[in-house]
Amino acid sequence: MAKIYIDERELEVAEGTTILKAAESAGLQIPHLCYHKAFIPEGSCRMCLVEIEGLPKLELACSTQVRDGMKITTTSESVVEARKGVLECLLAEHPIDCPICDKAGECKLQDYYDEYGLFDSEFDENKEKRQKRIEIGKNLLHDQERCVLCRRCVRFLGEVTKTHELGVFQRGVRAEVSIYDGILVDNNYSGNLAEICPVGAITDKDFRFKARTWFLQSRESICPLCSRGCNIYVESHQGFSRFSLPKRVYRIRTRENQMINGFWICDKGRYDYAYLDQERLDEIRMRNSQGSVTWPEITSHIAGEIGRLYHMKRAAHIGLILQTWLTNEEFFLLDKIFRNDVNIDKISFLDPAEEASDDFLLTSERTPNKRGAKELGFDLQPADWKKFFEDVDLLFVFASPIQDGLDVGPLKEALEKIDTKILFATHNHEINSSFDIVLPMSLIAEKGGSLTNIVGSVQNFSPALDAPGECRPAWQFFIELAKKLAINFDFYNQFSSMDDVREMMKKENPFFREVH
Amino acid sequence: MNPELTDQTKKKIEEIASHYATKDAALLPVLHLVQREKGFISQQEEKEVADLLNIKPIKVKEVVTFYTMFNQEQVGKYHIQVCSNLSCSLLGADSLIEHLKSKLGIGVGETTSDKKFTLKTVECLGACEQAPCMMVNFDYFGNLDREKIDNILDSLE
Amino acid sequence: MADKILTEHFGLENLFKIGVYMKNKGYEAVKKVLSEKKPDEILAEVKAANLRGRGGAGFPAGVKWGFVPKDIEKSKYLCVNADEGEPGTFKDRYIMTHNPHLLIEGIIITSFCVGIHTAFIYIRGEYEAVALRLEQAISEAYDKGFLGKDILGTRFKLDVYVHRGAGAYICGEETALLESLEGKRGNPRLKPPFPASIGLFGCPTVINNVETISNIPSIVLNGATWFCQMGLPKDGGTRIFGVSGLVKKPGIYELPVGTNLKEIIVQHAGGMKDGKKMKAVIPGGMSAPILTEEEIDINMDFDSLVEAKSMLGSAAIIVIDEETSMLDVLMRVTKFYSHESCGQCTPCRIGNSWINKIVKRISDGNGKRGDLDKIIQLANNMLGKTLCPLGDAAAMPVMSIIQKFREELESYIPLGN
Repeated sequence: MAKIYIDERELEVAEGTTILKAAESAGLQIPHLCYHKAFIPEGSCRMCLVEIEGLPKLELACSTQVRDGMKITTTSESVVEARKGVLECLLAEHPIDCPICDKAGECKLQDYYDEYGLFDSEFDENKEKRQKRIEIGKNLLHDQERCVLCRRCVRFLGEVTKTHELGVFQRGVRAEVSIYDGILVDNNYSGNLAEICPVGAITDKDFRFKARTWFLQSRESICPLCSRGCNIYVESHQGFSRFSLPKRVYRIRTRENQMINGFWICDKGRYDYAYLDQERLDEIRMRNSQGSVTWPEITSHIAGEIGRLYHMKRAAHIGLILQTWLTNEEFFLLDKIFRNDVNIDKISFLDPAEEASDDFLLTSERTPNKRGAKELGFDLQPADWKKFFEDVDLLFVFASPIQDGLDVGPLKEALEKIDTKILFATHNHEINSSFDIVLPMSLIAEKGGSLTNIVGSVQNFSPALDAPGECRPAWQFFIELAKKLAINFDFYNQFSSMDDVREMMKKENPFFREVH
Repeated sequence: MNPELTDQTKKKIEEIASHYATKDAALLPVLHLVQREKGFISQQEEKEVADLLNIKPIKVKEVVTFYTMFNQEQVGKYHIQVCSNLSCSLLGADSLIEHLKSKLGIGVGETTSDKKFTLKTVECLGACEQAPCMMVNFDYFGNLDREKIDNILDSLE
Repeated sequence: MADKILTEHFGLENLFKIGVYMKNKGYEAVKKVLSEKKPDEILAEVKAANLRGRGGAGFPAGVKWGFVPKDIEKSKYLCVNADEGEPGTFKDRYIMTHNPHLLIEGIIITSFCVGIHTAFIYIRGEYEAVALRLEQAISEAYDKGFLGKDILGTRFKLDVYVHRGAGAYICGEETALLESLEGKRGNPRLKPPFPASIGLFGCPTVINNVETISNIPSIVLNGATWFCQMGLPKDGGTRIFGVSGLVKKPGIYELPVGTNLKEIIVQHAGGMKDGKKMKAVIPGGMSAPILTEEEIDINMDFDSLVEAKSMLGSAAIIVIDEETSMLDVLMRVTKFYSHESCGQCTPCRIGNSWINKIVKRISDGNGKRGDLDKIIQLANNMLGKTLCPLGDAAAMPVMSIIQKFREELESYIPLGN
């Protein structure tokens, strides 16, 4: 350990740590543009210069390692002057078009200008003319005039994806970042470029001109579109009092987690979020019912249906079709209620088919929690549907939110012969009409719980969005149902929240005790 | 479209590359070689060189656009590069550039319509004791005055 | 005893050929080293000679070599810096053209001393004829058994290659040179690590200027004491002063380190050309702060020039006459650095271009009050704050020109602006 002093604050940090990291660990922010935790420091923007006692020149915080006894000043006049000088230069050749820039509100150049003095420009010369709108990827536009040459994008494509689509051409003030001969950034991680760009040089067409960043509410969640469990922020817009907006979610951003996804998410996870808003099922539907039905009514009704068969010792005629979009806690409750209490063994999974993985983050599994289901004792082997549907009188189906990837073929025919069919769904779909009862369910982003990723890491998450209309998380329904069934009332009566269920699961199953 | 690099050049490239710990380090000498053969480095050459050195063409373009000696366009048969740095300008480089412009009927950075001459100004050529000086292709000419320039131009076929 | 080390035999016809060179004590030093000396002894001698780098920074060569780790599995490299891009500098061209074997001999001894088996001479791309001459000389040295395997019957081996740059001043900066040698853009590297530990291809690397290396054979032959006596105790040997600009006899003059600047200009270079009056002198290549005519009675060694707030640099002397406008000088200087900035770090990339734009505007008759102060401020933003020394190299001359010739420069700014 080394004892250092930053702005007279004494800190104990590991030997070899950089000044910038040491400062951040103490909550002190040192401005930087080119530095990014994912990359080796490049030291080119010169924003992070600090004063070190005994050294004649200002030194870089991003690359200078601390030494025991080092006294560092981050706010002295010479430091501030140096940073102002850098900003002044960057702004001199920058279009300063913040009112129409998507990065406004989360732009480092803008933030630092506010912090370092809001000075007037003394640049009376002509700015360099550069290309304003280069399509560099399917979803990416590059504005060379806004670029500060931090090379984060170039380094990302060189060091992370190793695809090298961007380079720096020319030199001096004419240096510019671009693609080669029209070859676009074409990899499953391209969206990270717009995110790591510290200014508005690389913008995301998906977000461009859609919303101002300061209206967005950013909430933590887990990406459910494959079984990696990448950590994300779901960013939603509440709309205005004058009018509402056509959707809630405007952007998915990466959330750093070195154990799971590092600094990145894939383009699938980033861009395929339309399902959060489009075609959502948000009301309980019951065939032949007059007027609306409430959750307590429908729960009682379903409990009655199950109870009837259970007491007639006909539980073998109840079928359960699941998919691995459910959380660990939900599988825990399903196991308890349907297998343990009611004693159903007709349980099969109808997950979307596996697809190619990309050898980085995206896995072949297109649901988030296969591993959790397995750890809770569910058999994910494909079912013999013919055999499954023999003698089914009461069928429960949990539909995947991404129904396009679901093969409903085996269901359609069989459904006609079954007395009572109940669907738990998140979206409108033509198959919904084949069911007697359709229940609107919350998505992963709208509920709390935990997921187990492909390598067995268990991650908790909380709701990032409010559930629309009558949607409910499955776990909540399961608890209410179990209480109504009253086969094991005392056990379920302990649960009044998600956390209660989780604690019980951890108590009973040691696998879930370690949470990432 | 230019013809492909000759086998002889390709062989020479392999030989040069063997001097370095990694093949891609040979990029500068290889580009010199290719420019000698083709006159300039177009996208076609960037791709060919990239292929031979097992790197991405974008890496070649990054380098080609960094160094001033690599021509990205065809230059005249005689590439005249006049030093406009301090020592040469102290001794009248500017008036010699004007002389060349009027004599050749082109501006700086331009090529005569018969593709014979390209005129450029460059930074210090490292021959300040012979200021003012210029290069015609790779030949240095120093202690220039108008008469000397006229003689040099007359001697170029 | 001769008072020249590097140019002593320049008058000889065909000195560049190995036969002529050998007849004049050529390769004696290599023979002596390979038969009698241990690497440590050579290192001690070079350290004692206080041979300071001739490229510009003046770092002691022996100390630099000493930083290279001794027992290491990796290859080690020698890179000879023959980029010679500093405006006003042309001395290395003379050494390589007239006395290429002296450089090769220095390379062999340096390599033997540090334990190097591959050396590159990084020569600026424009020097094609010089590169060919070097390659010819290297080939002769191979033929005579001074290069290649089992040199002079010992187990020491060394390969030397000429690597041509392609038009980029920044490649004279040692880490940019390494990048360029690796086939990349000449963007300087962040230091540390220093090349002595992580240099070319990630291996320990010695980088020395042509003139520095060319001094090695005579240090080995004649000893450190002799070498120091040639110059100053703390700054040994001679310097090849390159004089250009408004003098009667521009050219190279090899003189003891510490020779008086006025003496060099007046006695050796013949004084002012065409009876012109001197106005200013740049004493060490374009990046050296300018001296006024009153300031040139000064000794040309590293410490004396630092004391005068200038620098010896590459010892390239540019003499400016009174008729020359200092605005024009400022223009050439700022255009050069703006053109040669690699573009990697902010203050240099934009600062140099901005400064040059202001100077151009003043030249066009549209100067404003405050322009000169703005230039000083922008230069100050670069000074000591850029990734590599180019920021300093650009800032120093600009600041000194404005400080020393402010009145004249202000006269180019229209009244009322």
